[in-house]
Amino acid sequence: MTETGTRPAEAAVRPVPKPAARRAGALAARAAAVLAKRVLMLVVLLALVFAAIELLPGDAATATSERGEGAAGVAARRRLLGLDRPVWERFWDWITALPTGDLGTSARGERVGDLLAAPLPNTVLLGGTAFVLTVLGALALGAWAAARPKGLVDRAVDLTSTAAFALPEFVVAVGLLLVLSLWTGWLPAATVTGADGAPATWTMLVMPVLALTVPQTGWNTRIVRGALADQAATPHVEAARLDGLTTRQVLLRHALPGAWPAIATGVATSTGMLLGGTVVVETLFNHPGIGTVLAGAVADRDTPVIAAVVACSAALITVVLLLADLVRARTLGARS
Amino acid sequence: MDFTRRQLLAAGGGLGASALLSACGGDGAAPAAGGSPRQGGTLRIGALGRPSAITRDPHGTQGNESDYLVIALVYDTLTAPGDKDNTVGRLASAFTPSKDLRTWRFTVAEGAAFHDGTPVTANDVVWSLRRLRGTPSGAARLPGVTADHITADGKRTVVLVSDYPNAELPLLTRLSTFVLKKGTAGKDIPEAPGTGPFKLDWYRDGNARLVRNADWHGGAVHLDAVEVTMFQSPQAMSNAMLSGQIDVASNVGAVAARTAKARRDIRIVRRPDDMAMPIVMRTSSGPFADPKVREAMKLLVDREAMVAQVLSGYGTVANDILGTGDPAYAKDIPQRKRDLARAERLLTDAGFDFSRTYQLVTTEDVAGLAESATLFASQAREAGVRIEVVKQESGAFYQKTWLKGDFYTNYWGTNDSVVFFASKTLTTGAGQNEADWSDTAFDAAYRKVMATADRAARAAALRDLQRIEHERSGYLLWGMADGIDLAAPKVHGLPKLPGYGRVQLENVWLAP
Repeated sequence: MTETGTRPAEAAVRPVPKPAARRAGALAARAAAVLAKRVLMLVVLLALVFAAIELLPGDAATATSERGEGAAGVAARRRLLGLDRPVWERFWDWITALPTGDLGTSARGERVGDLLAAPLPNTVLLGGTAFVLTVLGALALGAWAAARPKGLVDRAVDLTSTAAFALPEFVVAVGLLLVLSLWTGWLPAATVTGADGAPATWTMLVMPVLALTVPQTGWNTRIVRGALADQAATPHVEAARLDGLTTRQVLLRHALPGAWPAIATGVATSTGMLLGGTVVVETLFNHPGIGTVLAGAVADRDTPVIAAVVACSAALITVVLLLADLVRARTLGARS
Repeated sequence: MDFTRRQLLAAGGGLGASALLSACGGDGAAPAAGGSPRQGGTLRIGALGRPSAITRDPHGTQGNESDYLVIALVYDTLTAPGDKDNTVGRLASAFTPSKDLRTWRFTVAEGAAFHDGTPVTANDVVWSLRRLRGTPSGAARLPGVTADHITADGKRTVVLVSDYPNAELPLLTRLSTFVLKKGTAGKDIPEAPGTGPFKLDWYRDGNARLVRNADWHGGAVHLDAVEVTMFQSPQAMSNAMLSGQIDVASNVGAVAARTAKARRDIRIVRRPDDMAMPIVMRTSSGPFADPKVREAMKLLVDREAMVAQVLSGYGTVANDILGTGDPAYAKDIPQRKRDLARAERLLTDAGFDFSRTYQLVTTEDVAGLAESATLFASQAREAGVRIEVVKQESGAFYQKTWLKGDFYTNYWGTNDSVVFFASKTLTTGAGQNEADWSDTAFDAAYRKVMATADRAARAAALRDLQRIEHERSGYLLWGMADGIDLAAPKVHGLPKLPGYGRVQLENVWLAP
């Protein structure tokens, strides 16, 4: 919160005007630098994933072998999976093949790329819908609350958004299941897919999306509300208000533009939380996404699959963070 | 419970009550009550599975029940779990041993054909069995039979020669001897035609739709189609069942049964003798090496309480003999009951150290396993025996404790053969001798069973074997968990067999 709180203040500092071309060039260089930093971070993160799985008890050979197999069988399996080689060597092989699009082979002998091809779009659909709803919901609620500070709506939104953020996805999901499906029978309790691999009906998406949206909307509403409050204290918003503009005009035309960087950063960090939440939500609703693949892969100590899921999610998060940076840069640029 | 059992009886019809309680008597093919089987309809069935563990290869390691279900509907094994006999023919119509019980001849069923119309030949079977044998776990799946000892004799006979006399070889061909066309290329395996009661319509990410094979060699198949949905958790599957999205929740477990109990529109199908969760005591060294100590442990467990609390009542009390579903299981050996006074006397006689705390290692691999250890520990406390339960993660357990530890819990899913356990876990030097038990009299009884073709003499030897096992083995088997499926009332003819018997859906039919 403190971090996001400082951003609008930063925005108020007006940079020295620059020619447009130089500015674009500087922006590109900055984006490239940020990207390089993020890629490096991703590599470090993946190395940590390899190391962490190494530290877990058991390995893929014991986890995926049949019980009938003796110690010799497990040892042979370990050789087959390359687990007898040092972890850094396996990591190096995997990470150097990554740029070619080769995600490796799972402990059960499937291509990891094939394993993720179908679930990834399902997770993107689930997470994407939840993301859009979160942004819309947070903006609407945050603006509504900011329209009349300390009013009834503001206090109610403050209370409910805090409560919603404090609720884990798991609790929200179980509550939704009980009310919307098992008691009333309005929505199907689990996702069942058809021949095309997508959920059979759109109604199956409602509860998983809501379970992800509710906590994140709580979090982002608070950020929107906070950013708008910071903006309300700035001289230009003050001036707009004194000019006799309507609350709506003041909020949308004068306060909100300055609040964008903070809001963008807030929702960008939600991407990670949303993707993390899918592991729980997908398992509960049987949604065929990568969250469930990840849960199973961890149980199997299936390093290439876990690393591939982490790489995919990290790539998604990186893209969203970059977009947030662009929003920030644009807002600052527009001010110059 | 009575309510459930009554419902089962109503659905079971021609089956005797004993079939429901002990899986003996009756015939899977017998017409069920509620009228005669009706042709048609689509069965929506849920089965457990994880997307990361999906396997399409019939000879691969099937970590998912959903995958195994699909494979078992499309492909036939040589033999299958049965009711009166624990092994019945499937793709093989007959199987006969040589006098020394080393050579077994399997006859391919008359009229057996692949889904594309090609008849099944002995060469297809030989190719498939050799392929199975060549997989990483091939030696465990076809023990004692090397690839070059699998040969064809004419168009319809397959000959298997075991390295040692093996009266139970057909039993070992029940689970994974799926037959594919000779020479099927690796990349074609997932869509390769089978010979089973259903043909694959589509398969996608663990879910599948299958349609009736009207020409199945095993008889008429009632259902038009089966839709298999994979569920990642029993909870999600149970919810789907409760909200009417599926007609059958396969192997969903006791917790789901408890939830569904209040619902009149859902039937709880109990398949007895599904899972054994024995406590293993090391017999060769350590605190349990003295047979008196082991007997004392078997006397201080309160079996009824274990079944009631650990299994929510969905199970039966057992008598320290593994293979409770075997038609030859010795029911006449007196049931061991709780006797704290005698247990304490035995422990004192054996000089048991009451001041020590003994570690009982367990895992959470199957529902109720860790709970069984905890409850046993509290029961032992009543006799002054201090037990500390140590939970280990599955991988670590198999590396550090299994086959090595002094005192641990484990579980077994194939429980319809006494000999299966004897050969795998109880004879001297057996590959998975969990308690490191070595008993000359037991080994002799086992050898006699394996090498005796005469039915009466074999039964006598088998009873001997079970008596010794009951008396002094390293297994404390307090009870057997039921396999539990949930089903809509319109579903009839569901399999009642434990373990992998649950995948036989060819006799299932739907009431209008």
